[in-house]
Parts: sequence; structure tokens; C-alpha cells
Amino acid sequence: MADSPSPLLEMQDISMHFGATKALDGVDFTCNAGEVHAVLGENGAGKSTLMKLIAGVLQPTYGQLRVEGRDVFLGSPKAALDHGLVCMFQELSLVPDLTVRENLLLGAPGAGLGWLRGQGLDKARAVLTRIGGTDIRLGARVEDLTLPQRQQVEIAKAIMKKPRLLILDEATSALSASVVESVFDLVREERDSGTAVLFISHRFHEIEALADRVSVFRNGQRVATFMKGDHDYGAIINMMVGQKIEELFPEKQPGAHQSDIVLDVRNFSWEDQVKDVSLTVRRGQIVGLGGLDGQGQGTFLMGLVGLLRKTQGTTAIAGEPSEITSPKSAKHRDIGLAYIPEDRKTEGLILDQSIQENLELAALGRADLDAGDPTLYAGSLEQLALKHGGLELPVSSLSGGNQQKVVLAKWLALGPRCLLLADPTRGIDVKTKTQIYTILRQLADQGTAILLLSTDYEELIQLCDETHIFFEGRIAASLSGDDLTPQNIIAATLNVSAIPQAAHA
Amino acid sequence: MGRALSIDSLMPYFGVVLLIIAGSFLFPQVLSADYLTQQLQIAAFLGLLATGATVVILLGHIDLSVPWVLTGAAILSTALVGSGNPVLSALAVPAALAFGALIGVINGIGVAILRIPSMVWTLAVNSMLLGLAVLNTGGFNPRGESSALMITMASGDLLGLPVSFLIWIAVSAALAYFLTRTPFGRYLRAIGFNEKATFLSGVSTPSVVFAAFAIAGMCSALGGVLLAGYANQAYQSMGDPFLLPTIAAVVIGGTSILGGRGGLFGTIGGALFITLLTSILSVMQIDDAWRNIIFGVIILAMLLFQTLRKGAAP
Repeated sequence: MADSPSPLLEMQDISMHFGATKALDGVDFTCNAGEVHAVLGENGAGKSTLMKLIAGVLQPTYGQLRVEGRDVFLGSPKAALDHGLVCMFQELSLVPDLTVRENLLLGAPGAGLGWLRGQGLDKARAVLTRIGGTDIRLGARVEDLTLPQRQQVEIAKAIMKKPRLLILDEATSALSASVVESVFDLVREERDSGTAVLFISHRFHEIEALADRVSVFRNGQRVATFMKGDHDYGAIINMMVGQKIEELFPEKQPGAHQSDIVLDVRNFSWEDQVKDVSLTVRRGQIVGLGGLDGQGQGTFLMGLVGLLRKTQGTTAIAGEPSEITSPKSAKHRDIGLAYIPEDRKTEGLILDQSIQENLELAALGRADLDAGDPTLYAGSLEQLALKHGGLELPVSSLSGGNQQKVVLAKWLALGPRCLLLADPTRGIDVKTKTQIYTILRQLADQGTAILLLSTDYEELIQLCDETHIFFEGRIAASLSGDDLTPQNIIAATLNVSAIPQAAHA
Repeated sequence: MGRALSIDSLMPYFGVVLLIIAGSFLFPQVLSADYLTQQLQIAAFLGLLATGATVVILLGHIDLSVPWVLTGAAILSTALVGSGNPVLSALAVPAALAFGALIGVINGIGVAILRIPSMVWTLAVNSMLLGLAVLNTGGFNPRGESSALMITMASGDLLGLPVSFLIWIAVSAALAYFLTRTPFGRYLRAIGFNEKATFLSGVSTPSVVFAAFAIAGMCSALGGVLLAGYANQAYQSMGDPFLLPTIAAVVIGGTSILGGRGGLFGTIGGALFITLLTSILSVMQIDDAWRNIIFGVIILAMLLFQTLRKGAAP
């Protein structure tokens, strides 16, 4: 594919900052008409931010976008649509209460404030039929469709907008292999008629099947762009992982794998999201849970603290079988579980209340503790070096990292036997991350069992003694010791059984 | 409590002072002790209802079953007294309170267990209570009378102050202590701000919701008992004019309708303010239509002032 003088989309020196976090940092990126361009990277590498910039959902902090050589400003998704830039997001964007037809017409060309016109519908119907959606009625409510059917509607909705650049962000994650194949045929056809396609997928074989060019992103930067076939899996995975940052992490202690078992989970299942998961966490051990988003690891943690109904399997705490039916029973002294939820702003903290009130909220329900006693929190606050202007100030006045420290201190006040953390360092600056790593390791050394869900491979490798990688609700691999390498983790998250080194052979 | 004395909660007290001053220019008798104690007596009816409503609104919910919990409690208590049986007569007030608590728990079940929005659920409960009352009385005014105790509670005087006012203040003080000094109060506000985070902190949020609605039901029932004592009878729809003033009193008292923020101190001021405003407007003998318009405008103005003040200093 020869580069035309002005590519369809050109992004020059694009940076996107969220507060102190640089989601994208000085990225140049081009996408040509008539090619499928795959974008690869770990969670948090900046892929999604890049797509949102192109789709007009976000506006870059610095940098310039050009469409066919002309400077453009994409202030809204509508503006992006006017330039023919269409995005199909991985978070489904259909309105559940509307019918398929109504959803297709939402935001269709010429369907603003005025009469609805149905001329695009024939095309959408044809697309649906082509990609195996013959049984989807246009009059059906989206709510009543299955997840794969919704994805098919999403694809039809995107195609009927006649895109010049089509972004597929994990567009086929719920589709079966045969449907994926027909979607790919459709995408190739669009490409051959001159559409540019940006393709994000975590499945290597899909990239192998569809992409013409590949760009790899890491930590908000574009690391490399190459034609498909120039590099093998192993090399690409190495590009995605990058160099080590071991000095951030405290040293692991040997011998934890022989201590007493604190948390013993056997055959844990819930609906079809978690399937037959068994694992143990010992005193002094930090056990990691990894995997791509939504593979059941987060659901598993929620199930452990009693947030799910009708779970199967058994949980034993220090050898005692325990029925944990709610967070209230989980924090009881005889069980001693503490759960740090994923979203500190809506789940971990009450932003409108003071730091002090937030600290006390977990300890209040424990009869054996006096929640008003400042010494309960003083130790961990000091250890975490919480920066604050007074404990009576609203917790919302703190930075994200300091807010997370408050959540930790609130639960450490209970002296938990086992600490469950859902991605505690997401969106937190490096210095605070290091402090959190240090306190987790200290807690482990003092005998706490720690189960850490993380989307950061480095944490799973450098901080954890053992790491379980989830794929489609199951533990796809359990890694420890020398097996705990980025290559093995990525291979397991993608459920590729071959170890990358073997690809050289 | 520093928080209890926020500017928002002091606002209605300034309003009360302004009303008295302005009213005294038009009608000098506004400044008489008789008039003022009478206002305190009447404010207690609204105030008791608003006390219960504050608890529920702090939780982030609303209780629209106030009118017919009130009416039901009044019908029940007067009917028990009217039976002539001294034992039943003595049970009149406790039975009315138990009735209020029972309806409160039913409200709590709908909101906390069945997860139906409180605005809908409590409205439905209100409607069903109306139906039950009509079935019970055949649509006529219920028979019965008030006991001496009920009449004293509503119209008696103690140390120169109306007993109803003293009851209201005592209930408010007890609940205020409960709200600021116990985990229950802390949970109540925490749920009002963020129910999910509170539940994840290991709080049994449904029990808190039950308790809050039960307290509100008992407050409404106590209001009904007092009103029945005041009128020496119960009558259909006696609670209907109270619903909106109750909510207005809570909000004017600086409690956020979204939950979490506010307290009972402001509600006392809010109930005093609304009672006084209603009274002065009716003493002025202006047209009913204008009275309603002025009432609405003044309440809007107070809320607007609060919002603007918050906008200026977030």
C-alpha cells in the first residue's frame, strides 16, 4: 500500500493529559485510505484514548489532527462523523429501550431535528443479513437481544453511516468464529472500496487475518509501526511490554509459599462469568489476578465478599468453612476480609464526606473496635504518607492517589487477615504506586494474605508471589517463580498456549 | 455540632425574625405572647411530620405516605378511645405509634428489598391507606373521640409553653442526638451520599433504611395523634394539606433533597417559618389565590438564595 501524499487521517504530536496522567504523549500516527491498520498495546497503553480523539469524544491537550491534509478540530462525535470518522466502541453504545430500527436511525445522516428518513435502513438490513444477523428483527427492542446480536447491530449501525475511516474497537469480542469471518469479509470489502479501518483487538489470530499494518503502543507512546509479517508474536509482545521498572517494587520474601493457608477457595462458579475457580492465598503471600478486562477476575473478587447471589463453591478462612453473604459478614472479626473496590470515587469513598468520616466508616460496624479512636488509622496513614490539610476536610479535596490511601487506611484499621484489592493503582502516579507497593509488601510480611487484581503486568510480575491469569471466566494459567514473565502473562491473557520463544523456531 | 449550625440551617430562623418584624408593622398583635405561643403550638404538628421527613430525606429517599399515615393514626387512636373501653383507650397512643412504625417498615421493604423508588412506593402505600380508611369508615367521618391525654398533648400548656411544642422539641432533640452520636446517624448520611460505597464498607444498608422509614412513620403517626387531639376527632383527608409543607419545611431548613446533607435543627426553623408565613398570609385576609402564589414565591426565593450562595462559594 503506497503512501499517498496526504493520508486520510494524520495525527501530529498528539498529547492527551488527564490531570498529571499522560494518556498520550507526543504521538504521531497516520492512517491511509484502503488499509486495515491494527493497533496493539496493553491496557492503559493509550489505544482507547487515541480512538476517542479520532471519534471526537475527547479533544487533545496538544497536537493537530488532519483529514486528507486539512487541519480539523473534532469538538464532538458529530464533528467527527461529518468528516466520515466512525467509531464502533467496545462499550456498546446502543440504547437498550429502543428498537433496533430506532437505534440505527439515531445519529444517522439527515436524522437530526427533523423528519426521520429511513433510506439507510435497507443498507443496514443488508449488512445484518450478511453478517449472520438474519434473525434480528428491526422492530425488536435492543434490550431483548443477546450480546452477540447487539454487536452485530453495532457493526451494521457503523457501516450504514458510510464511513471513510472505520474504527473497530474490540468489535468482535462477543461473536462466534463463523460470524467473525463474515464480519472480516465485510471489512475487507469496505477496505477495498477505499475505507480506512482502524482495528483494535487482543486476539492475535484476528490481527493476523485482517491487518495490513500494525502499530504498537506502550505507556502513551507509539513504539513501532510495521507491515504485518515483519515481526513475529514474540517480538511484538516484547514491544508491548517494554523495559522493566523493577526498582519501583519492594523485594519479595522467599518462603511464603509454605506458610498457613488463609484463604482457600474451591470450585468457585457464578452464572457463566466465573467458572470453577480454585485458589489459595497463604499468610505473607501476595497473589495476583490478571487477564484482559472482564474475564471474570473482578467478578470473582466481588463474589468472595458476598456481593453476588447464588455462587457455587466453597470458601474457607484459615481452615474454617465460611459463608460470606455480604460485605458486612466479610468484615466480621472471625472472617477478616477487606475488599478495596475498583472505583474509589463511587465505591470506595463517599466523596462528600470528610477524610475522618470516610476512615471510620468500615470500623464503625465492628463491635470490638472503637471507630473514633485515631490510633486505629494513625499508623497506616503515616506509613502511607497521606498528604492532607486536615482530616476534617472533604475527601474529594485529595488527589486520586491520596484518596486511594484513605481507602486503604480505612480497611487496614480493621486489621484484616486477608486483603482483596481490585486494581488499586489504576490512574495513580508512580510515587504513590510505590508507596502502595511498599505497604502491601510490609502487610504481607506481617502475615496478611493479599489477593491483588491488577491490569498492570509489572505488578503481577514484580509484586506478586503467584499470579493467576483469567480467560473467559477460568484460570487460564497460574504462574510463579521463573515462569512469571511478561511473555507468559501476555500469552495467557490471550489464551495462546505457545510460549513466544517457540515462535522463533 | 458545627455542621448543624450551617448558614443554610440558620436561614429559616432569619426568615422567622423577618416575618415577625414585617408582620408586626401590619398587625401589632403579632408580637403578643398569645399569638406567638399559638404559632408554636401549631408549628408542632407540621414540625413533627417534618422531623420524620428529614430522617428519610437525609437517607436520599422521600416519604409520600405522610398524609394517610397521619390520618390512619388519628382514626385508629380516636376509634380506640371511642370504644369506651379504658384499656383500649389507654392503648390509643402506643397503638397509633405502632401503626406508624409498621407502615414505615412496609415502606422500607419496598425501598430496600424490592428496590422500588421511594417516590412511587410510598405514594402507592399512601393510596392504599386511603382506600383502607374509606373501606373502614364507609366514606363518612370516622366516629370516635380523643382521650384526655391526646387533648393535653395537643392543646395543653406546661410552664407557659404549649405541650405540643415541647413534645416536638423533645422528639427532635432525641433524634438529633441519635443522628449525630450513633453509627445509625453516620450510616444514614453515608447512604444519602453514596449507598454503594456504604454497603461495600460492610454496612447492612437495608436495616438502616427500615429504621429510617419506621422513625418517619412514627413521627407522622404522632403528628396524627396530636392533630386528632387538637380537633377532638379524626376526619378523612386531615393529612392531605400537610404533605407539601412538610417537604418544604425540610428543604428550607437546609437539608438537601438529594440526601446526606442537612439536619434537624434547620427543619425546626423551616417548620416555624412555614407556619408563621401561612398564618400571617391568612391574617392579611388576601385572596386565597394570591396567598398561594405568595407562599410559592417566598419558598422559591429561599431555595434560590441557598442555591446561589452555594454556587458562589462551592
